[in-house]
Amino acid sequence: MTLRERLGKEWLFCDGGTGSILQKLGLKGGELPELWNLNRPEDIKNLNKGYFEAGSNIVNTNTFGANRFKFDNVPEIVTAAVKLCQQARKEAGREDDAYVAIDVGPTGKLLEPMGDLPFNEAVDVFAEIIKAGYEAGGDVVVIETMSDSYEAKAAVVAAKEVCDLPIIVTMVYDETGKLLTGGGVEGTVAMLEGLKVDAIGINCGFGPKQMLPIAERLVKCCSLPIVVNPNAGLPRTENGKTVYDVDPQEFAEIMGDIAKLGVHVMGGCCGTTPDHISTMIKTVKEIPFTVPAAKNTTYVTSFADCVEIGKKPVIIGERINPTGKKKLQQALRDNNIDYLLTEALKQEEAGAHILDVNVGLPEIDEPSMMENVILQIQSVTNLPLQIDTTNIEALERGMRIYNGKPMINSVNGKEENIKAVMPLVAKYGGVLVALPLDEGGIPETSDGRIAIAKRLYEAADKYGIPRKDIVIDGLAMTISSDPNSAIATLDTVRRVRDEFDGHSILGVSNISFGLPARELVNSHFLTMAMQNGLSCAIINPCNGPMMASYRSFNALMNLDPNLTEFITSFKDYVAGTSSVASAKSSGTSSVAVLTLGEAIERGVVGRASEAMREELASGRDSLEIIDAELIPSLDRVGKGFEKGTVFLPQLLMSADAAKAAFAVVKEAMADKPRTTKGQVILATVKGDIHDIGKNIVKVMLENYGYDVIDLGKDVPPEVIVDCAIENNIRVVGLSALMTTTVASMEETIKLMREKKPDTKVIVGGAVMTPEYADKIGADAYAKDAMGTVRYCDSVFEGMIL
Amino acid sequence: MPLGVDIPAKEVQRYMGYHGISEIAPEMQALIDKAIDRLSTQSHPRIVSKEYLIDVNEKSVIIHADNEDLNLESESLARNLKDCCGAILLAATIGPSCDMLVRRASVTSAAEASVYQAAGAAAIEAFLDDENDRLKKQYEAKGYFLRPRFSPGYGDLKLEHQKDWFRLLDISKQIGIELTDSLLMVPTKSVSAIIGICRDPKAAGCPGCAGCGNCNMHKTCEFSKGRA
Repeated sequence: MTLRERLGKEWLFCDGGTGSILQKLGLKGGELPELWNLNRPEDIKNLNKGYFEAGSNIVNTNTFGANRFKFDNVPEIVTAAVKLCQQARKEAGREDDAYVAIDVGPTGKLLEPMGDLPFNEAVDVFAEIIKAGYEAGGDVVVIETMSDSYEAKAAVVAAKEVCDLPIIVTMVYDETGKLLTGGGVEGTVAMLEGLKVDAIGINCGFGPKQMLPIAERLVKCCSLPIVVNPNAGLPRTENGKTVYDVDPQEFAEIMGDIAKLGVHVMGGCCGTTPDHISTMIKTVKEIPFTVPAAKNTTYVTSFADCVEIGKKPVIIGERINPTGKKKLQQALRDNNIDYLLTEALKQEEAGAHILDVNVGLPEIDEPSMMENVILQIQSVTNLPLQIDTTNIEALERGMRIYNGKPMINSVNGKEENIKAVMPLVAKYGGVLVALPLDEGGIPETSDGRIAIAKRLYEAADKYGIPRKDIVIDGLAMTISSDPNSAIATLDTVRRVRDEFDGHSILGVSNISFGLPARELVNSHFLTMAMQNGLSCAIINPCNGPMMASYRSFNALMNLDPNLTEFITSFKDYVAGTSSVASAKSSGTSSVAVLTLGEAIERGVVGRASEAMREELASGRDSLEIIDAELIPSLDRVGKGFEKGTVFLPQLLMSADAAKAAFAVVKEAMADKPRTTKGQVILATVKGDIHDIGKNIVKVMLENYGYDVIDLGKDVPPEVIVDCAIENNIRVVGLSALMTTTVASMEETIKLMREKKPDTKVIVGGAVMTPEYADKIGADAYAKDAMGTVRYCDSVFEGMIL
Repeated sequence: MPLGVDIPAKEVQRYMGYHGISEIAPEMQALIDKAIDRLSTQSHPRIVSKEYLIDVNEKSVIIHADNEDLNLESESLARNLKDCCGAILLAATIGPSCDMLVRRASVTSAAEASVYQAAGAAAIEAFLDDENDRLKKQYEAKGYFLRPRFSPGYGDLKLEHQKDWFRLLDISKQIGIELTDSLLMVPTKSVSAIIGICRDPKAAGCPGCAGCGNCNMHKTCEFSKGRA
């Protein structure tokens, strides 16, 4: 029988520790254990053989760290390991019922956006290992000791792309059930189930006793076979040596307790030996086996958050969608990602649970934009995302790069669309919004919609997408053109719940298109839809009446324990306005009287934009306000900073206030051409991931009238130079925080001199000094953000037309 | 998970670049308070440490680890560990949430981002000081004394040695810090260090062998302790 046929049907056993045994055989610190596959093959074969003889069905090859960051002959090392494990199995006489597992451990690097390893490169790294293992005859891929769900996803994607072997994934949680990167058990399981692995589990970290509560949580949420591979107790140091205290007998006893919870595959990790494994097997085999039970919970997840669909209605923020939003369209054209991030944070603040992300504009490269925007949004918020696009390439790239199990918007009943979208959901996992419309258009009645919904469920069955991961769209369409449309939609929502025990979703505000006072209709429609069983509402969470409906509904339906959310949200409610008195407004009298200049000097953001609005309303010309008030006050703060009477935080507060005032001007002059002093590139150099200093310089330069092209952090020299050539840039500002990254600063300057000698380069950063700047050939050194402003002024002086 | 120790507001101000200032604008104070509050509740501090026997020579220190003798070429470290018989290698982090808070703030406010940055630095130091105190008491009870912390990158101890710390302590797996190609730690609010263990109580403080005075950035550093 194949392993896939046996998983979840009978007790199966993994092997135990490797490193601890090799150390006893004389593995030196700093020596890579995988080298022994070539240098000391007999020892590795005996290690594997020990576990086959102990009764393990799944024995790992000695390839835990066999990746290209450590070796330049990965295929050779992996192939040798597989052959040794096969030989060991043969010698142990276990060829009939035991499997050679291609062991895959973490790369030791953190993925972008937190770290410096791009997701797709991680996939390549894993693919190289797994492909070699597969070609050498491995039977199963075991991805283990993962403390980052994103890295686990990269390994799973790699495995699926190079072979069709069963995939087992085991993660390392801490005592609270969290991964080192912040994810929890339920969210990680949802993501891995979506990726269609064959078994899910836990290993390493601590001993069986500490693992028991985590195993309990796994059993509650996981529909797949569960694997438990603990250490032989908590590691302890004795004279610089790591020791484990749990002996085979005690190990077996606690593993017996865990077995009774209803797990399916058991083994060990650090500190466990063939003795631990064989003793455990004797105990566990006596315990009745329970087959895995399918769980009916639907989760949408990010790397840290886990949103359940179906219990309480879920709010999906609709603001990141260019349809009908001029400012967002402009931001997408200008590659102004900060604007999208601001929208994301605002919606999170307002109470959204999931954010819709749609970046479709005819004139931009949607797949690249989708990939980048998802990465960026996930670097500032834990909220899960809904990938919203009709562009299949954008959908695939978005789903691939996404960290977690996303929502997908959407598939419809057209044969061609099902064929394009569903295989992607089957591969990457996701909760899929399904629109009940097809080649025949949108059915007017709920009967028609329910018939297509049924076909969509059946299609999902065919692709192996669980029905719980399908969310049917009730298709809200305006009542101004079809007076029956709300009724048909509400009926559809209700029938999805009643006839399929399914989940539903609505783009709520479509219902009032073409009407006045839309929020009145929208908010009441939302309440009616929720009463009919709506699971997900795509709305603007910053709209008061909509959130008022939502929170009132939850309060009334006993979905808001102790009414906490309702009371917190509306304790400052002003009757008759459906809105809450804003705590941020500059209502306090001392601030309200500040002039624009004073507000900027004191750094009061809210008052600065308000004062700017008042100035504009009084009929003053915007340029005059900027020249006579804004710049001089900013300058006073800047000069104070240079003299040492004003400190950096105050300078930044003023910069924030000035930025807010400028934003008001920009909005007012949206149609007029902008004047700028010049274009400047800013970048943190390759290898460096610190960008706070660079961001401060950016804000200051923008306030002083420069147009900044911000290339971000960890930017390769050629990207900076190409951008300078393409835009004919006069000044480039480079930042580096560490001595180790100053080398790439130097490299960038060298390349710039070679390819675009007339561009000036100014450098700054914690380790920079004027001497250092000189040594690496920079044109100038900036002590701080004001230094960069002054330098740019000197370069561009007389250049302004 | 809470940080478990107080983040001193004064330290946050020092990392922000305030030198000897008494009056802070209420808006700024509010940002500082918020940052301290968030980091106190959202941090996930972790530490890993191991004790080793060591040999200290003129210009180098040898760490006797499990199956390995690690040679650290560094005069400044040798000075710091003079007369020590052992050392504790350690690494600690407050977890990834501070980095996320900095990135979030960067989107809307440079001032707020710099406050989180400073509060994060103060938080990891406070956490480490607390752990350090605990170790100190443990060792003093056994008749040993501890030297001040010393980190790869200080003085002439090469940052390259970060790799040794990561190997010996298995830092990535144990507490979730990863090393980038350029030897930076992520999460960024993390510290790796060595603490000398000695028999002589008079040598414990080791005046002049650590701290800001011995740093190659001492003259230009904004954050140097003891600056007015």
